Amino acid sequence: MKQFTYRIGDENGMHARPAGKLATYAKRFVSEVSVSANGKQADGKRLLSLMSLGAAKGTALEFTITGEDEEQACRTLLRFCEENLNGGE
Amino acid sequence: MAENNRGRAPLPVGEHCCRGPGGAGSLAPREGDGTMRNITGKQAVYRGTGASGGKVCGTLRFFRRPAAGRGSAPARTVSPAVELSRLRQAMAAAREQIAALHRRALSDIGRQEAEIFEIHAMLLEDEDFGETVAGGIAAGKSAEDAIEAAVQVYTRMLRELDDPYLSARAADIRDIADRLLRILSGEAQEDDASESGSFILVAEDLSPSQTVLLDKSRILGFVTFGGSSNSHTSILARAMGIPALVGVGQVSGEADGQTALLDADAGVLTVCPGQDELEAFRREQARENDAARRLEQSRRALIGRPSVTAGGHRMLIYANIGEGAEVARALADGADGVGLLRSEFLYLSLSDYPGEEVLFDAYRQIVSGMQGKKVVIRTLDIGADKQIPYFDLPREENPALGFRAVRLCLAREPVFKTQLRAILRASAFGNAAVMIPMIVSADEVRRCRRLFDECKAELICQGVDFDARMEFGIMVETPAAAVMSDEISAEVDFFSVGTNDLAQYTLAADRQNPLLTDLCARNTEPVLRLIDQAARAIHGRGGWIGICGEMAADPRLTQRFADMGIDELSVSVPHLLAVREQVLRCR
Repeated sequence: MKQFTYRIGDENGMHARPAGKLATYAKRFVSEVSVSANGKQADGKRLLSLMSLGAAKGTALEFTITGEDEEQACRTLLRFCEENLNGGE
Repeated sequence: MAENNRGRAPLPVGEHCCRGPGGAGSLAPREGDGTMRNITGKQAVYRGTGASGGKVCGTLRFFRRPAAGRGSAPARTVSPAVELSRLRQAMAAAREQIAALHRRALSDIGRQEAEIFEIHAMLLEDEDFGETVAGGIAAGKSAEDAIEAAVQVYTRMLRELDDPYLSARAADIRDIADRLLRILSGEAQEDDASESGSFILVAEDLSPSQTVLLDKSRILGFVTFGGSSNSHTSILARAMGIPALVGVGQVSGEADGQTALLDADAGVLTVCPGQDELEAFRREQARENDAARRLEQSRRALIGRPSVTAGGHRMLIYANIGEGAEVARALADGADGVGLLRSEFLYLSLSDYPGEEVLFDAYRQIVSGMQGKKVVIRTLDIGADKQIPYFDLPREENPALGFRAVRLCLAREPVFKTQLRAILRASAFGNAAVMIPMIVSADEVRRCRRLFDECKAELICQGVDFDARMEFGIMVETPAAAVMSDEISAEVDFFSVGTNDLAQYTLAADRQNPLLTDLCARNTEPVLRLIDQAARAIHGRGGWIGICGEMAADPRLTQRFADMGIDELSVSVPHLLAVREQVLRCR
């Protein structure tokens, strides 16, 4: 099991487009991807589920990745967050 | 255009407020009424947020969402197995419709608006939504009822989020559900929302599907009850460059069919405005109407007419096309040539690398189809964002800045040379030019030229014919290419500016991000200065420069391009005549 936490820096939070992208990335791995925020838990491979987190700027997303390719999935998803949710430089 | 058949027929629609008196159902103000008083109907003023600037006067037309068979499913016995299979079929049909809308939005409006259909496709496939519907069916509901129930669940979920943008996505769920319900009820596509004449469209908000299907040439402006500057209507209005006022609250139904002034700059909608307000608008509108009528009447005459500004500068009007089928439409609307042939289509439609003969055949048909007019063929522009399985490209985190276009081609010389040879061979059948995308340095250009010359030498040895004077150019779509244009221009015959990428790289703003639409729209100046720099460089060498991105079709920029001495504007086929008209209007 791999875990990391990412605080959203993007002004716009995790909207449909980044959520869709995240789901697309997560689906590439066999590992289960769970994302928690605001006391809710979402399936990282499902768009509506991710949108339901209502994750705005400043929200801490807690990723839990479990499965045979969890190493790589973790690296990729962390990279995804940095590139799509950090909002800054 | 068929008359409205949705029950509440709106009044016949006036062209604009300046329609002459006496016509049947005239909406023009009655003469003789008090000057400062309102004229027909009750004057009412609504305030909202201007989501897209501009002023317009016209007839209000209320948009009515087609009933979509909602809640009208006939009572019948429901078998879960049957319902599930109906659902699956409807989903498959919806998938196709969404894909078609996506393509249409891409060609008619642009990437930003098109992107929403990618989200729709994902929402349609969403497991949570699918499972909720399937669960409803398993519990004995009809497919329709199960969809409706799932919509309620997820739209409520989204609306309850304390986030205006995410809440606005409830409209997308509704849109997808309506599509499924329409398919289940046996209806075809949704109706085109418009009837005849131009009008200001008034709606609660519009779904992406509705906006794509609207006949945009007739919409003068948008007014929405709700909505925000993130709503689809707003994004669309900005893409169309017409005024939009959002968040005005409920507009009284009495306003339907009435004349109104929409001033999105001031954030005001005036229904049944006063005489003096109308006068000012009338004068403005009359000028624009004349131009519109001129465009309409002289459409045919315009075709083939040299597009020369009043100052005597000639700008050729070329078409951007993506496949051979568009050649006929481009010619019919008087294209002077093809300024951008996106050559990816053959690669995208095959399961393995197309051979030289296949490519040659396709290019030859287009080149000869254009009857001696120039066809600028852009070499392969693919990368991690346009995946082609057999290219076996590594997945990239940031494909826009990645291993794509010429970078890929130079790394895979055999693939590149196959295409270059095919283009060279096609040049014997008309007036072709070759153009390399994503250039950042003169060195890249030299490497491409070397391969190009190798191909020529091979063809000469094989005794194969080609146009030895075929022009060789590059896309200016990176700030680097513009900055280095003095050096690069020594290596080429022409530049063609890809403004979409140039803007995105210059402003460091993802052009597919709807949240950055405003930023991109407000900051054209840095992009224009880079274009100017490139224009000076290439003109200094006796070459020519065209514009082939979305900016080429922006009428607000035509004068500026003329001033820079831009030689050619290449736009999608629907914009050809409008741009020609705009050039003729330039100083």
